[in-house]
Amino acid sequence: MVIERKWKKWVYFYIPLTIFVVGTLFPFYWMLITAIRPDAELYRSWRAVNNAPFWTLAPTLAHFQDLLAKTTFPQWLWNTFFIAVVSTLISLFCGLLAGYALARLKFPMAGTLGTSIFVTYLVPPTLLFIPLADIIRNFQLGNTPWALILTYPTFLIPFCTWLLMGYFKTIPKELEECARIDGATRFGAMVRIIFPIAVPGILSAGIFAFTLSWNEFIYALIFLSSPEKKTVPVGVVSELIRGDIYFWGQLMAGALLGSIPVAVVYSFFVEYYVTGLTGSVKG
Amino acid sequence: MKKPIAGGAGDAAGTVALPHPRTSGAKRPSAFLENERWLAAMLLAPTVLLLGLFIAYPFVMGVWLALSSTSVGNPGEFVGLKNFLKAWNDSIFRTAFYNTTYYTFWATVFKLTLGMYLALLLNRHFRGKRLVRASMLLPFIVPTVLSTFAWRWMFDPTFSVLNWLLYRTGFIVTKLPFLSDGDWGIWCAIVVNTWRGMPFFAITLLAGLQTINPDLHEAASLDGANGWKRFWHVTWPLLKPVTLVVVVFSVIQTFSDFQLIYVLTGGGPANATHLIATYAYQVGVATGLLGEGAAISLFMLPVLFIVVWLQLRYLRKLEGA
Amino acid sequence: MERRAFLKVTGIVGILAAGRAPAFAQGTKLHILRWVDFIPACDVELRKQAGEASKALGAEVQFEFINANDLQPRITAAIQSQSGPDIIHMLHNWPHLYENGLVDVSDVAEWQAKEQGGFYGQSEAYTKVGSRFMALPHGIVPGLTAYRKSWFNEVGVTTPPKTYDEYRQVGMRLKKKGHPIGQTLGHTFGDAPAWAYPLLWNFGGMETDKSGKTALDGKGAVEAVKFMTAFWKDACDEGGLAWDDTNNNRAFHAGEISATLNGASIYIAAKRAPDKIKDDKGEPLVRDIQHMRLPAGPAGSWSYHTAFAHGVMKYSKNQKLAKDFLKWLHGVGPYGRWFEVAEGFSIGSTKQWERHPLWNTIDEPMKGFKTAADNSRVIGFAGPPSAKATEVYSKYVIIDMFAKGVQGMKAEDAVKWAAGELKNIYG
Repeated sequence: MVIERKWKKWVYFYIPLTIFVVGTLFPFYWMLITAIRPDAELYRSWRAVNNAPFWTLAPTLAHFQDLLAKTTFPQWLWNTFFIAVVSTLISLFCGLLAGYALARLKFPMAGTLGTSIFVTYLVPPTLLFIPLADIIRNFQLGNTPWALILTYPTFLIPFCTWLLMGYFKTIPKELEECARIDGATRFGAMVRIIFPIAVPGILSAGIFAFTLSWNEFIYALIFLSSPEKKTVPVGVVSELIRGDIYFWGQLMAGALLGSIPVAVVYSFFVEYYVTGLTGSVKG
Repeated sequence: MKKPIAGGAGDAAGTVALPHPRTSGAKRPSAFLENERWLAAMLLAPTVLLLGLFIAYPFVMGVWLALSSTSVGNPGEFVGLKNFLKAWNDSIFRTAFYNTTYYTFWATVFKLTLGMYLALLLNRHFRGKRLVRASMLLPFIVPTVLSTFAWRWMFDPTFSVLNWLLYRTGFIVTKLPFLSDGDWGIWCAIVVNTWRGMPFFAITLLAGLQTINPDLHEAASLDGANGWKRFWHVTWPLLKPVTLVVVVFSVIQTFSDFQLIYVLTGGGPANATHLIATYAYQVGVATGLLGEGAAISLFMLPVLFIVVWLQLRYLRKLEGA
Repeated sequence: MERRAFLKVTGIVGILAAGRAPAFAQGTKLHILRWVDFIPACDVELRKQAGEASKALGAEVQFEFINANDLQPRITAAIQSQSGPDIIHMLHNWPHLYENGLVDVSDVAEWQAKEQGGFYGQSEAYTKVGSRFMALPHGIVPGLTAYRKSWFNEVGVTTPPKTYDEYRQVGMRLKKKGHPIGQTLGHTFGDAPAWAYPLLWNFGGMETDKSGKTALDGKGAVEAVKFMTAFWKDACDEGGLAWDDTNNNRAFHAGEISATLNGASIYIAAKRAPDKIKDDKGEPLVRDIQHMRLPAGPAGSWSYHTAFAHGVMKYSKNQKLAKDFLKWLHGVGPYGRWFEVAEGFSIGSTKQWERHPLWNTIDEPMKGFKTAADNSRVIGFAGPPSAKATEVYSKYVIIDMFAKGVQGMKAEDAVKWAAGELKNIYG
């Protein structure tokens, strides 16, 4: 009886789970391995006898060194980080205010405004990028990080608003009302009572927005041209393939280094991220 | 017990602050902000400004552009629906449209199925659960472009590690044409998209699963229902609303996808993996035919609109029932 | 060397002789955007020349290099925002496409032609729009088929195959031995058109007739597609549909393929890294590389190469400075030095460079590149290389026509498809 149960557990649970984990994480392992293998090993014919792709006996840091010293990669890391942080702050600011207004206040067109904020999600960046490029250039923002800092909130704000709306709805109205009875202004109550309670929601929205900004590509591709202004995704795609040669070692090193900041930030806030994901969906 | 202030549309009660030494004789600004309507307007102003300027305005410009013959260096003139007609007659566009639909459909099916399966697996207690859950989200966190490069290297026509593995284990004799064959190409893209998007489904569905009262499952199994029956009759109906929302998000993202294909295949081989977004980029930006590129992008809108509308209707029906 | 020093001096003297060094505002910057050269040493040489030019012109000259496939989006962005680099690299017949954004440089072009023996037909056709030169030709990168001498000998081939059919027979034998021919039919700017367009022409096909009307649907194109389909199955590495301009280089260096159409970069890269690029016996690969021309079809033996030019952008605030700089850069001195560093990868746009001493001392397998560009046609043939032809090229219609045939579509249908696309573009 017990043995049968154990067998079942293995087949129906442990093995599928292991397959999922391996399948999910293998590409990252591959990134790592490629980044530390010397070039000579990387480009061996697939049928060559000495081709051992899964490990290396001569790991090298040359790719990382070349990446950091010979390209503007460090500059891209900074650009991406700066843009992600500022866009997130702007989106949180707008989302917080808008979420509160939609969740708590009654005013004409509340429903319409709420719906139209959500409808903007139907107009994805890949639909807007051509006319938006012209608009950005007319505002003289072309090739500056501000082009991205001002446009990223367009897809970050709806998320933040949803999420925070959901949070606000769960905070009992009585809390505010008590505060106002005690003499606080509506605005004061909002800032001093409600917002602090919503901090978990703010963190969730923030971390979600941060990872989304880091991930954005097409706007960064279109609006930025100079190599030193690029973000990590765009830089890796356009600058690490020089002429005839794909520098796969450097590419994978860049991919790894480009993913680490986000992964690190995420790992500190996993719980918030998960709540953010699920909250935005339920909200 | 003092009555709380009632807000409301057109209600001027907001300006009547409860008498209190601090607020009586209040300056204009705070009285101003007491009025719900004005407060709402102020709070919503930054959002409306940003979204209006960078979504509504470009959208209108995009429509105008699509109706004109603008190309790089040549301000165009109004040409009506000519660009849309040209796109419709362009078999490359039709291929891209079909590809986008095919890609979105299958990727969503797989993401949903695998995500659901994974959510069910994770809906238990086991050692290392937190670690597993956190690491499973990595594909979704890491920038798509970077992880897609890793996949591209894995699919490389000459140096693919997957080919190597299958060759060594005796499954194949000649290389598999991962990115060199049209059908293989789009399925490789579907695989990468599924790999990347499944965690989103899994985590969200997991949260949904955790809100289901375990007593319901108890009752069902006491009635003799086995695993599958329990899932279908108890779990699934309760998960439908969450599933629907997740699917809507995912469909919008996948249908308008650009990065994955741009990095993985560039639209090839021979346009077999071109999507609406990547083709719009090629025509509008690379070739400089801005009006035509804008028109191609706009073809996304009706499809997205219909999909979302259908799903919202279904959602409303579910909630009404 | 004496000659080089002499040329160097004449270069700078040339500028000074043209008048006093022009008085440009302090801090004027001249920004030139070019592709990343497949011969890295060329870009190094250009940066060096930028330093010299800066002194001679009294303004700061700066080069920027990006991947060729990224040039067009960058040009679109620059022209739309009316700001960006002053001079941009133009490939193929892009001057026709960007005519409205470029400056008329006919005066400098005529000077260059006169001084250096006249332009090749392809270079002139690509940069001259109507009667005006909208860009200055700056070389051609010719393509020849690089092949492994020893493997060809193994299958009994000691002289290059003369016709496409002969080539296919040779390829069949090579593929059976595990050494297929490698050819890209992917969406890439250099190797794919260099193969596809001549294949069409050499079987008698054409995109448009002399009057500019589309004329693709015909026996020539169908025969070409039929050949390509058979050739692919019998002789080619079938991964080629996903290759870009770099995959065949890699595959050749790794010993995966025995022959491929390419610029001289395969040979030059192998020559510069003999310890890294070896054949399966451990010998430097470069010793086994030879070059041959494209074979002939029933209607001729044309070829296609990538022509390059420099265009001065209309939005530039330094147009006079740009033209002066280009006159210096394209002059015999600086261009000569760049030409030598290229070691035969890039040949001149004018005929006098065929007589350069480089060709006497260059490695024997490279000698064929000297006159490789003499039988090139232009895209859009038989009509003019107009912006519509550029659209066809940008949409890879001709390349896809072959790709479709190779993937199983009947030749007639593939040609009909391409003809339909052409009609849609030409109107």
